[in-house]
Amino acid sequence: MRIASNQYHTTMNSALQAANEGLTHVMQQMASGQRVLKPSDDSIAALRLARLSREEAALGQYRDNIGALQSRLKTSEVTLDSIREDLQATRDLLVWAADAGNTGDDLNAMSGSMKTLHDSLLFLANSKNAEGRYLFSGTASDQPTVDAGYNFLGNSQTQDVAVGDNLSVGGNVSLEGMGAFLRQLNALQGQLATPGVTAEGVHADVTAMIDALDLTLGDVAGKIGQLGGRQNILSTMDTNHASVSLANQQSAIDLGQIDYGEAATRLNSYALALQATQKAYAKVSQLSLFDAI
Amino acid sequence: MSILLNGLTGAQAAQAALGATSQNVANAMTPGFTRTGVLLGSMQTPQGGAGVQVSKLLRFADSFKNVQLWQATSQLGQYSAGQSYLTQLEQVMSDDTANINNGIDQFFAALNAASVQPESGPLREAVLTAADGLVKRFDSLQQLFTNQQTAISTQRDGVVNQINALTQDIALLNKQIAAGRATGMNDAGLQDARDEKIKALSSLASLQVVDTPDGAKSVSLKGGQPLVVGADAATLSTAGPGVLNLKFANTTFTITDIGQGGQLGGLADLQKQVLGPMRTTISELALGIGNAFNAQLALGFAPPAGTPGAPLFDTSGGTLKMTGITASQLAFSSSPTVSGDSGNLTALIALKNRPMTITTFDSAGNAAGSTQIITGDVFTQLVGKLGVASSLNQASQKTATTVRDQSEEDWKSSAGVNTDEEAINLMQYQQMYQANMKVVAVANQLFDSTLQMLG
Repeated sequence: MRIASNQYHTTMNSALQAANEGLTHVMQQMASGQRVLKPSDDSIAALRLARLSREEAALGQYRDNIGALQSRLKTSEVTLDSIREDLQATRDLLVWAADAGNTGDDLNAMSGSMKTLHDSLLFLANSKNAEGRYLFSGTASDQPTVDAGYNFLGNSQTQDVAVGDNLSVGGNVSLEGMGAFLRQLNALQGQLATPGVTAEGVHADVTAMIDALDLTLGDVAGKIGQLGGRQNILSTMDTNHASVSLANQQSAIDLGQIDYGEAATRLNSYALALQATQKAYAKVSQLSLFDAI
Repeated sequence: MSILLNGLTGAQAAQAALGATSQNVANAMTPGFTRTGVLLGSMQTPQGGAGVQVSKLLRFADSFKNVQLWQATSQLGQYSAGQSYLTQLEQVMSDDTANINNGIDQFFAALNAASVQPESGPLREAVLTAADGLVKRFDSLQQLFTNQQTAISTQRDGVVNQINALTQDIALLNKQIAAGRATGMNDAGLQDARDEKIKALSSLASLQVVDTPDGAKSVSLKGGQPLVVGADAATLSTAGPGVLNLKFANTTFTITDIGQGGQLGGLADLQKQVLGPMRTTISELALGIGNAFNAQLALGFAPPAGTPGAPLFDTSGGTLKMTGITASQLAFSSSPTVSGDSGNLTALIALKNRPMTITTFDSAGNAAGSTQIITGDVFTQLVGKLGVASSLNQASQKTATTVRDQSEEDWKSSAGVNTDEEAINLMQYQQMYQANMKVVAVANQLFDSTLQMLG
């Protein structure tokens, strides 16, 4: 075929452009470490990467929720533990009070300790979080757990926290029976504080109080157990999420990250093609019949 | 005497050939220049040879190759016109920190975070902030679409103006060439100029070019609507999106720019097949999220207010906006009295995986029914589609570039100048000139000898 002289220049231009385009692309890939720079580079991989990134975002949020929920449950657990200790101390006091050998003065003295424990329990039952919300009032968290009249104003419902797709864990427990218990304790404390009180006279009430306390203690221990169980579920969920997240990140690397070895080879071949074209052009453009005549 | 005259015609023919060669060498790098040459023919009289004549000045044009080149130029124009817009969209929409998906993720993340403590003020504020962020992302994407729309329509106006200027030029050149033919003028330069204009025009729209006996070229659009007939040119003007008016000799045609090829058709394709459907989907996604959210909020309560929840988004104007409700007005509770309830919040979170109705489009960009896609995946699929459209266009552009380069090479193989060839011509015609001058000298000597004999 007949070749026009300026065809060499055109060919050289096209070759330069193609090689430069390839070089720019591979250098961008190397600089960013990404194989897929824009969706059209590999639309399927881009789609899968986007979906992985969506899933990662959701997993990250669930893991954040788990962290926040764990600390919230921990606060409840610590408070309930203090309540349990106070109840235990109250029980020791009641057992002592049930002793028929106590004098009226002894019982009067005990009422002072009982008052302190009553106040502490009342305070703990009405614990609030940083935003002033009651911990043990169920979802009616703006209502006190035990009001001035010893009534429980909350409810038994749980606040469900999303920790996975269609999976939630309760964030609170309610202390429904605490009001009634404290009312009874308050009444007994009043009796013990009365001058001239006798061990025999209060014996039946003290025994009834011990029974009520044992029930409450069992209830509180059960709540602590519930919270522990939820913490376990949360740890398991967190581990699961972490594994899935790791697998996702691995897939994202496989799909989207550049293979530097392969990229370096490509870079070399573009550079080589460019050099060869330049040399060929330099040679060819030296050939002119006009130089010979 | 005939020796002297033969020598003279030979020297003159060699000069003409050298003239053509020098013109070729001078224009070796001129774009669109078609090389020239001379066609020599011997002159015969009944008395014998009467020398040589330049029977024709040749222009090495190949009209078939011209047509191929113009077609290839149209194809390239069509695929190149839209690519820069597609690349820009791709870059903006796939940017993982700025795209809509990220906004949706952050919004639902804020809702999820609120579920840890649904009555918490700061967590509720975070939901409002994330919702506002989502609205702004939709805003800025829609702004980008609007900007592209403006850029495309400006470019379209520019293309139409260029078409008008080029058709005027071609019509004028037709007139000059026809006039030149009548007086026997050499019109090689005019023809080169006209071919270059047609090539420039073919990058703007697909053309049909027909030669007429008077040397003029009639140019029409792919569908046959005339652009240039002889010395008359049509005037094109835009008349709203997708519609053009073509005025020729007091008749006005209304045509569509879809399918016209070249940059004109490429821009129309981009708008109809990619931008239009994408704008629709983004708008459906924005309003879909807003309406679904408002509907769910209306089913809940924000105690202590005992009335159903107020809407978070304002979708009345066809775009997503915030209504400006406060954090405490977010209806996360499913009870009108219990403030710490999170029943409705759970339902709001579940909206992420609820399907919404999205219009589907055929490859020509016409609505073709609808499909159900879950909220979190609409944008992902949209970016996927954009990626496919862009990579298809890039592949077509690459093919068109190769075909155009090939056609250009083909065209040059007959019309382009090869300097080595011209060097040979130069030597050959120089020798021819020298030989003929020798003949003249010999004839002169013979004449002298004859005169001496007589003297």
